[in-house]
Amino acid sequence: MCRIVCRFASIAAVLTVLAGPSAVYASDFDSARDVASQVDQLIAKELAANKVEPAPLATDEDFLRRATLDITGTLPSPRDVTLFGIDPTGDKREQLVGRLINSEAYAETWARYWRDVLFSRATNARSQLVNRSFTEWMTGVLAENRGWNEIATDLLTATGDVRFNGETALLFLQEGSPEDIAGEVSRVFLGIQMQCANCHNHPWDSWKREQFHELAAFFPRVSVRPVQEDGMQRSFEIASVNRDFDPAQRQQFLKDNADRLVRFSDRNRDGKLTKDEIQENQQFARIFDRLLQVADANKDGGLSVKEIKEAPAPMPNQAGRGSTEHFMVDLSNPASRGTKMEPKFFVTGLTAKSGLDDLDRRELIADYITSSQDEWFSRAFVNRMWGELTGEGFYMPIDDLGPERTASFPKVLDLLAAEFVKHDYDIKWLVSTIAFTQTYQREVRPDSADAESVPFASATPTRLRGDQLYSSILKTLGGSDDEPRGRGPGMMAGAGGPYRGARNPRDQFGQLFGFDPSTPQADITGTVPQALFMMNAPQINAQISATGLTRLAALLRKFPDNDDAASELYLMVLSREPSDKERKIVADYIAEVGNRNEAFEDLMWSLLNSSEFLSKR
Amino acid sequence: MTTERHEHVRIRRHRVSRRSFLHTVSAGALAAGSLSLRDVMTLQAAELRKQGKSMILLWMGGGPSQFETFDPKPDHENGGGTEVISTSVPGIRIAKGWEQTAGLMNELALIRSMTNKEGSHPRATYQMHTGYIPSGSVKHPSLAANIAKELADREFDLPAVVSVGNTQGAGFLGVNYEPFVVNDPGSLPQNTEVSVASSRYTRRLGLLDRLEDDFAGRGGEVVVKNHRQLYGKTSKLVLSSDLKAFDIADEPQTLKERYGDTVFGKGCLLARRLIEAGTTFVEIASRGAPGAGVNWDTHQDNFEQTAANAAVVDPAMAALISDLKDRGLLDTTLVVWMGEFGRTPRINPRGGRDHYPRVFNAAIAGAGVKGGQLIGASTADGTAIQDQPVTPNDLFCSICEALRINPHKENMSPLGRPMKIVDGGQPVPGLLG
Repeated sequence: MCRIVCRFASIAAVLTVLAGPSAVYASDFDSARDVASQVDQLIAKELAANKVEPAPLATDEDFLRRATLDITGTLPSPRDVTLFGIDPTGDKREQLVGRLINSEAYAETWARYWRDVLFSRATNARSQLVNRSFTEWMTGVLAENRGWNEIATDLLTATGDVRFNGETALLFLQEGSPEDIAGEVSRVFLGIQMQCANCHNHPWDSWKREQFHELAAFFPRVSVRPVQEDGMQRSFEIASVNRDFDPAQRQQFLKDNADRLVRFSDRNRDGKLTKDEIQENQQFARIFDRLLQVADANKDGGLSVKEIKEAPAPMPNQAGRGSTEHFMVDLSNPASRGTKMEPKFFVTGLTAKSGLDDLDRRELIADYITSSQDEWFSRAFVNRMWGELTGEGFYMPIDDLGPERTASFPKVLDLLAAEFVKHDYDIKWLVSTIAFTQTYQREVRPDSADAESVPFASATPTRLRGDQLYSSILKTLGGSDDEPRGRGPGMMAGAGGPYRGARNPRDQFGQLFGFDPSTPQADITGTVPQALFMMNAPQINAQISATGLTRLAALLRKFPDNDDAASELYLMVLSREPSDKERKIVADYIAEVGNRNEAFEDLMWSLLNSSEFLSKR
Repeated sequence: MTTERHEHVRIRRHRVSRRSFLHTVSAGALAAGSLSLRDVMTLQAAELRKQGKSMILLWMGGGPSQFETFDPKPDHENGGGTEVISTSVPGIRIAKGWEQTAGLMNELALIRSMTNKEGSHPRATYQMHTGYIPSGSVKHPSLAANIAKELADREFDLPAVVSVGNTQGAGFLGVNYEPFVVNDPGSLPQNTEVSVASSRYTRRLGLLDRLEDDFAGRGGEVVVKNHRQLYGKTSKLVLSSDLKAFDIADEPQTLKERYGDTVFGKGCLLARRLIEAGTTFVEIASRGAPGAGVNWDTHQDNFEQTAANAAVVDPAMAALISDLKDRGLLDTTLVVWMGEFGRTPRINPRGGRDHYPRVFNAAIAGAGVKGGQLIGASTADGTAIQDQPVTPNDLFCSICEALRINPHKENMSPLGRPMKIVDGGQPVPGLLG
């Protein structure tokens, strides 16, 4: 303790920093505390009934690291650890949660979480186009603490250029395909996996194939259209197509009328049409750029009658696209058009008239999904958040709920879901409430046979998301996102995944270390290239040198005593002090190596490569 | 007893000759008199055959024009004036630019009747790597991952699947079958070089292992166990003498020149070295790795681009096949040349050919494929299949057949739905000898 006291001249002065939660949030503080304690009681009762002794609450060190990683996506500093440990305030854990959730980092890290959720299931290989705009948009709405119902509505009703309208991500990532959108909407917003019903009645769920296609029937008029700038394709936009569109038919129309079209619009009488000349003909203007690209044989930037007539036919790349209604494919005759489907929401049975315009349909389904009549919407979100924070959902996998599944502790889920609705889908409120529960605050402990059957008696260690790990490495080694390209520990190539084509170091790191956050933790075990990076990457090894300008070098200068230095290093990397056993191992190791610098480099390497550093504990 | 013993017989492809195999067995079981040689051979013959198989995929990203590769149409305007050359097999003619491959035609089967429906790059690429069309609900494993799961030797130090350039992942089959991506073929992969002496590296690993105990005792034992496995596997790779298979520096200059001083050529030479070392599946993506630049998406200037591509791919492919053959590896190694679709018969105003999934082609050699034959045919104008259509799943079934894998074996997806390695399809009759 002396070491700690010496470090900070005035504890009193520093403690004033640890003020209460910010005003924005204070009004809901009590209700979060209240609901958390109801949750505690329900869980305690159930555990007692099953004769399972819950694990004790985690230490301050563990709680601080856990909450800081969960809510702000990074590690606490050694100073945070020390101050939090000596803070005598009774409700310091709740106050910490309140402070963390109002930091900028909260919105940033959770925006990246949602990006990983959506991008991991993208069927669109051009997903990079919407990465940045989505992350920025999501950061904004989370910082404003807009309700989950509003966020969902925005995602369902978005339009516009994907580079500037991040809320188009969900639709764009599914390439505007009604079936793919229906499957993803159901999974993300309702936690109901009904994609299988695309092709057959679900083998063990009650959903019928018709019901899946009735959901898809809300989205046939969503269109992903190329955006041209200066004659080059630059981007895509989500647009509505409310009239039947058959590119081949339209082109035929143009060919049949090429003479008339040129005669009518060719103002300067040079025998060819330019973009300026056809501005007033809106229908033609919209496709002019594309037509010019494929049909301008002499590349003079204009189209002659001959060129229009000889334009190659558009490729039927996307069979079935371009229809304004949704048709369910007849599986015994896939070439036929199939059955026209009327929009109908399978949970509540609410319908929309076919023939409605795109945005009307999408607003209706957004309304149906986010209305409080649909309990799956709130349950799915609560389950996901609870799972992400505690390491285990009421339903597992966290995006597979539905009437045929069984939840553990269903009363707790119901309570949280009802309160979440009552609080207008307030995400900060929900995260705080979960973080206030004893379940969230328990120690990790070795699995016993009992714990297997009854979850929530102890905390589960989970693997850090790529984003959390990157922030943790930056924080430990010293570094920031603002560093110029090529610096920081991000320069490496990965095996594809959601960040293909990533440009900045954080995204490059994510390319290697990212995973689908909907995957059960048990299935996430790390990869060889990840281990290679942590072990051998020059960017990391340069930063663990005991000499030069590194943080390790500074630490070794500041703490000449080996035991002190080891404690500091543990605080820096693992946010805790070493155990007595670890102190002994380290002391023995230093003696064995016989070279202080070498031994500490090895220690730092080992701590960074430990499973504890990679985990939330 | 028998099974147990055989797990100890390490069948390292191409290193363990039949003689050394017998030697190993005789030292153990045979000497103990517990089983006869005939028993061993009968019981394990199928296993042995399977274990020796491997595959190299020459991925022609962008969709290669069939007219400018292995299905030219010199007598039709859709042929675009592309000239043909004769090959070592009388009656088989291919496009000009593929002279070296033409000389090896007796090893190759050309499928001229590949047909499919997907005409968009990402979807068709996904399908031609997994056998499935993309779906939000399941990340389908690549065929490479499926093959590795069936065939790979778990004791092998190097990854079972290696890809030059990014490719499809292992999906729900998980980390053991993820492709190990190499972006700079010919030199050691990133982060395999250890910055400290290997004695110190080993010492560090020892310290790490001791320090892990604490977290394991505090509830992290599952995490620690997985982590130890991964680090065991990774440090084995780092310290393995097999790692040098990635480094082509010591190959004779003349051989390197035959493959070509290109990313694709180096990738092919790397593939041969990896297969020789015991890797199960190697893909070389023609435009996947930085600087590779063999792009078959020839919407404009088709003829110039395809000629430039052939100048890279033809020597590399020919060198690979003959090198494999010289080393006795071609009998066990399947080499597949293909892309995601073909190109339009009609030439567009920019001298290009657009996407055409209805008719495309593929070339296959090795692993029992009967060379010197044509499978199927396209019509005279190249717009349709004339004879014996082959779907992607048919081709995948044939690949499985050549590698002695059951194409309809099921793996369980995370949602509890069984997924076949290949869903439907029929092996192409006559493809295998």
